Amino acid sequence: MASTAPSLTLPPSQFARLQPHAYLLAHLSPPASSNQPSIRANGRAPAQFRVTSANTGSLTHTNGSAVVRVGDTTAVCGVRAEILPTDDIASWSVSHTSSRTTNKRQKLANSDSEEQQEEEDPNDKSHIQDLNLLVPNLSLSTGCAPGFIPGAPPSALAQSLSHQILNLLHSTRLVRAEDLRVWYQPPSLGGESLERHNAEEQMDVDDEGTGKEDDGEKAEVKAFWVLYIDVMIVSLAGNPFDAAWAAVLAALRDTKLPKASWDVDNEIVVCSDKVSEARKLALRGLPVASSFGVFEADAAAGWRAVIVPDAEEERLIEEGARKGIQRRWVLADPDGYEEGLSQERACVVVDKKQGKTVIVKMEKNGGWALDGQALKEVVEISARRWEEVKSILEQC
Amino acid sequence: MTDRRRINGPPSGTRPAVFAPSLKSASSISTGRPRRQRQPNELRKIFLKTGLIPSASGSAYLEFEPSASLAASRSSPQSLIPPSSALKLACTVHGPKPLPRSASFSPNLVLTTHIKYAPFAARQRKGHIRDASERDLGVHLETALRGVIVAERWPKSGLDITITILEAEDDRWWGDAPDSHDAPWGMMNVLAGCITAASAAIADARIDCLDLVAGGVAAIVSDEPAEGESSSPKLMLDTDPAEHKSILSACVVAYMPSRDEITEIWLKGDHSKASLGTDDKTLGHEALIDGAVNAARGAHTVLTEAVKESAERFAGLMLGGNTA
Amino acid sequence: MVGPTASLTPLARADGSASYHCPSTGSNILGSVNAPVELPGRRDALKPEDATVEVFVKTGTAPASVGERYVEGIIRGVVGRLILGRERGYARRGVVITLAIVGGESVGRADSHLTLLPALLHTALLALLSASVPLSMTFSATVLSVDASGKITREPSAEVAAAAKSIHVLAFTSKGHLLLNESEGAFDFDTWEKVRQRASAICHGTSTVGADGDIAMVEDADGQPLEGTIRETVEDQVHRDYAWKIDAA
Repeated sequence: MASTAPSLTLPPSQFARLQPHAYLLAHLSPPASSNQPSIRANGRAPAQFRVTSANTGSLTHTNGSAVVRVGDTTAVCGVRAEILPTDDIASWSVSHTSSRTTNKRQKLANSDSEEQQEEEDPNDKSHIQDLNLLVPNLSLSTGCAPGFIPGAPPSALAQSLSHQILNLLHSTRLVRAEDLRVWYQPPSLGGESLERHNAEEQMDVDDEGTGKEDDGEKAEVKAFWVLYIDVMIVSLAGNPFDAAWAAVLAALRDTKLPKASWDVDNEIVVCSDKVSEARKLALRGLPVASSFGVFEADAAAGWRAVIVPDAEEERLIEEGARKGIQRRWVLADPDGYEEGLSQERACVVVDKKQGKTVIVKMEKNGGWALDGQALKEVVEISARRWEEVKSILEQC
Repeated sequence: MTDRRRINGPPSGTRPAVFAPSLKSASSISTGRPRRQRQPNELRKIFLKTGLIPSASGSAYLEFEPSASLAASRSSPQSLIPPSSALKLACTVHGPKPLPRSASFSPNLVLTTHIKYAPFAARQRKGHIRDASERDLGVHLETALRGVIVAERWPKSGLDITITILEAEDDRWWGDAPDSHDAPWGMMNVLAGCITAASAAIADARIDCLDLVAGGVAAIVSDEPAEGESSSPKLMLDTDPAEHKSILSACVVAYMPSRDEITEIWLKGDHSKASLGTDDKTLGHEALIDGAVNAARGAHTVLTEAVKESAERFAGLMLGGNTA
Repeated sequence: MVGPTASLTPLARADGSASYHCPSTGSNILGSVNAPVELPGRRDALKPEDATVEVFVKTGTAPASVGERYVEGIIRGVVGRLILGRERGYARRGVVITLAIVGGESVGRADSHLTLLPALLHTALLALLSASVPLSMTFSATVLSVDASGKITREPSAEVAAAAKSIHVLAFTSKGHLLLNESEGAFDFDTWEKVRQRASAICHGTSTVGADGDIAMVEDADGQPLEGTIRETVEDQVHRDYAWKIDAA
């Protein structure tokens, strides 16, 4: 039957679909004779991220917004601020009456001296976390990729990404609780115009529980801003977390809160609509996320070799084979195709303070290729990425 | 009522920010209403681009040019209250793909349309779950597209069209109190945009269609009379609801120019003689539909360009694939 | 240091189950495994030659939230890599792991689940062993917190964790590979290296620590390595189960 022998050559796109693992492996480990460099199927070097661009402030009905594109993955983030009056908080009057004086002192201290800005705010964490002042949600039901049914409740992936964003917002303490407080200073009733210093002393007396007459003079928190941070992944081509986090970060940097004050007569919070009076959020640091995938040359064969070598043995094998054939590649910013081929993932979030790299989150899961040395390299790549993302965010 | 699959805000709920100017009486701020700078038959520019979402079989992104007032407030921001807003939406098409096993046999392509506002799309925060108006829009869009697609070419297959609205049109100017004339006028602009974008995305997915269907909006509006003008109602194309004091009636059509066919028509409001107060033929419902069709013709030219671009990209891809 | 206690197969109707109690973090977990099972109605989604691993985490007192989906993802990543899903009878079937947090400090909406994670992982492992699911290796996991002064605390209580500068969860395979790392909070790489060494010593005892004698001494005080605890739990159970056979011999 030698009529029409099927052609043995396949176009690359077909080969990529039929034998994805072999296709990527062939790109990463070209035959020594071909003199080609080891490169990913998408043309990137292993530690190279996709082209990233960011654009902020283009959505009209948001307090801050950003569109971040990392290659073909696009995340749109909009921040909407709404008011939470303390009267609506069930536990507020019980749990916070005593802390008001501290709040005021905190405020005075902050307004007095700039260097105390960095001072730890004892209520910072508890206010943001306990009152749910930051509400991030990520949606994948936008038709961003086949397989996410629009209209269905958030998939497990979307839920866990939302959780990761929330967790990172809390653990990095990115947003200051002070920025979210709406204060009310009742007009002083007594004729004696007390100096602030004196007022504070007076309050110390109050703290000892002698009297409550001065209650009207204390500044009190009348409301909080609640930031609804919604991320729509408009297009998904791998690595949604990096793009989503960059979008959240860029949108928060863009966020302006109007000047809000307590209207005693109407008992509501009234905001000034003047742009000049609105203020930006003072964020703590600039944590940047970088994700990685580990591609293993023998992943398909791995399940047959039930006996996995010891970590020590493996290290020796690896060192011996260092000059020879590489067996594992750590791929930065994996696209959808590479994500499907790598079981082991890592995500590192770094920030830089005074030139020093601070890791704020480091995860690895799904395999045992990444350990001490490899993780160290991953952190170094992430630190380089931080510079890159910083300049992108500062330009927009 | 907490949603366990999402992160919830404070249990007591939150209130949208109240801005000081909106507390004043309506008359004192009516001067702030943005004015339409375009001619009655002049359309806003449409930005339409296909193929931005590679994982979908077809996709389109559509954006309306901000109206003059919004553009002004963007370039030199004074107030935090946006004067109006401009439609921005992304549309993806997935398919044709086999129907799930559980579905019954269908000799035609089964069309599913899904329109969702982003929570930050409108002046009022939208919920995460589709509300009645979003479902309504989906049904209208499905009707508009069903008449265009050659459905019998794909038996036992499904086509999912998903639209995410990133920024919607306003229903009225923010300074106006809701009144009896009030209707979700902004929704009609949104639908017109959805039809045009979906049409581009379907063409980008290379689904056979009878023609490129485009959406257009026209409305009969009555404004406060400017100096030396009569205050009689006027027919306007592509109205931005924030620019008009009251919209008497509006119409959105999905129109195929080459066949001169309308696949979807949605008329809203009161356009009877009594309410218009004139016997003017140019303000009847036929004139309104004609106006909407004209607006759709305008959108069609943009659509053609976008689809041409998509076809060129596809041709380039094929060529590149063969030579590689 | 009071070590964790565990028992195998407390539930009669599941294929395998385990209960696990860690006194220092106060966590108390009950887990069950059903494998291999037919997963109905999702034949399209199943991998053709591999088992599908599903993990469900149920909270005790706190309302369910998105955090559990995240933890489920982590546990699936860890055990999914160890389960030999291509063994006979497992292809196109499912391994369903259900973990219920029955006691201890409840985790709030925003809290990280990191302090609970080692207990959840150990329960999942023991339940898998109890259900005789083929595994390529076993593993052991621990959580460490680092406070502002750099002091490393093993398995911190909720208060210590709340005050900590960073929290780290590490899991090591029985062959000494780093299988999982989840670190949160500000730290630098040197700190992490120390944490890794300490964690490795907790899981495997001093032999793998190597040169640093100091840390080895501390770990001896920490008591038995976790690896050994898990091994003994399983050995005890096997002894009980095969008592008739051993006695007869």
